[in-house]
Amino acid sequence: MTDYQLLIQRYDPEHDNEPRLQRFTVPGDHTTSVLDALLYVQQKRDVTLGLRWSCRMAICGSCGVMVNGIPKLGCKTFLRDYHSDITIEPLAHFAVEKDLIVDMTQFLAHLSAIKPYLINDYSGTALHKQTPTQLAKYQQFSNCINCGLCYSACPQFGLNPEFLGPAAITLAQRYNLDSRDNGKAARMPQLNGKNGAWGCTFVGFCSDVCPKQLDPAAAVNQAKVESAKDFIISMFKP
Amino acid sequence: MNTPVSARKPYQSKLSRSWWLKHNYYRLYMLREATVLPLLFFIGCLLYGLYCLTQGAAHWQSFQTFMQQGWVIALNLLAFAASLFHAKTFFALFPRVMPLAPAWLMISGQWLATLLVAAGVLLLCGGWL
Ligand code: FES
Repeated sequence: MTDYQLLIQRYDPEHDNEPRLQRFTVPGDHTTSVLDALLYVQQKRDVTLGLRWSCRMAICGSCGVMVNGIPKLGCKTFLRDYHSDITIEPLAHFAVEKDLIVDMTQFLAHLSAIKPYLINDYSGTALHKQTPTQLAKYQQFSNCINCGLCYSACPQFGLNPEFLGPAAITLAQRYNLDSRDNGKAARMPQLNGKNGAWGCTFVGFCSDVCPKQLDPAAAVNQAKVESAKDFIISMFKP
Repeated sequence: MNTPVSARKPYQSKLSRSWWLKHNYYRLYMLREATVLPLLFFIGCLLYGLYCLTQGAAHWQSFQTFMQQGWVIALNLLAFAASLFHAKTFFALFPRVMPLAPAWLMISGQWLATLLVAAGVLLLCGGWL
């Protein structure tokens, strides 16, 4: 067991006007994740520490925090990889509700704004058919776990919270590329707008922090190509 | 009965102007965007040269003396390095946006095309000058 120094950002809306850092010493070995450490603090040191988590296996997407300034999943980040103080803060660019818990309302609104479901006039009971090649077109973009790390990595979202952001635009691409979907026309107005794909300047950090390697930056820039095509086609339409 | 009062008081931090200094990734991004500055100087030189060309031999001569100054050469070398750096980042991003072939193939293809075009232009200009 090694002792690790954690600096955890605390914010109690009932007493604090702004967040502060609090130091905790946490024992850990090579298997201790940041989430384990936070739960240790909550169970053994300060029961009032607020944090979100559920699956502990990088699939529910609820344990996102900033570790030394970089968005990470707490359950997929290990103390062994850090050698001095580990600063843990809530996800950047979101409003903090309490300690490490942020308000994700805006993020969820962006996700639903792009109509993330199959849109078609299919009403039969027979199964949809899709070839492996058709599946491969969008499969990578369908692995999103909605953790929001990419939004914390995106300075454009930090500057303009109306920007749809990496995950939402990736999700739009995921459905637009799906052979079973006919909803592209309904999604393009969102992507074409100034808060759509063109709000991205290809900083690319979103792809770096994505815990599922979706490459959201690529999806957003593919959406720009689609948006440009959509614009050119619209010029030739009466 | 008392209406419950919400204890919510979300804290929204502001992105400081120096956000891009906080992380290496952001610094590199800003460097990529800043490559446009020395390129502007190069384009200025190019336009000035074209203008001098239309104004006769004396002007052309003075343009050439201007271009031979140490600081102009240094700035143009900087512009060259900046455009190479920008090309490197652009070539790496391109296959992700348009995945037409394996990334390594597309990246080396783009460099090869750049070299061929550059060699062609040099050959053409060399013959003409
Ligand atoms: S706890 Fe579910 S992703 Fe970390």
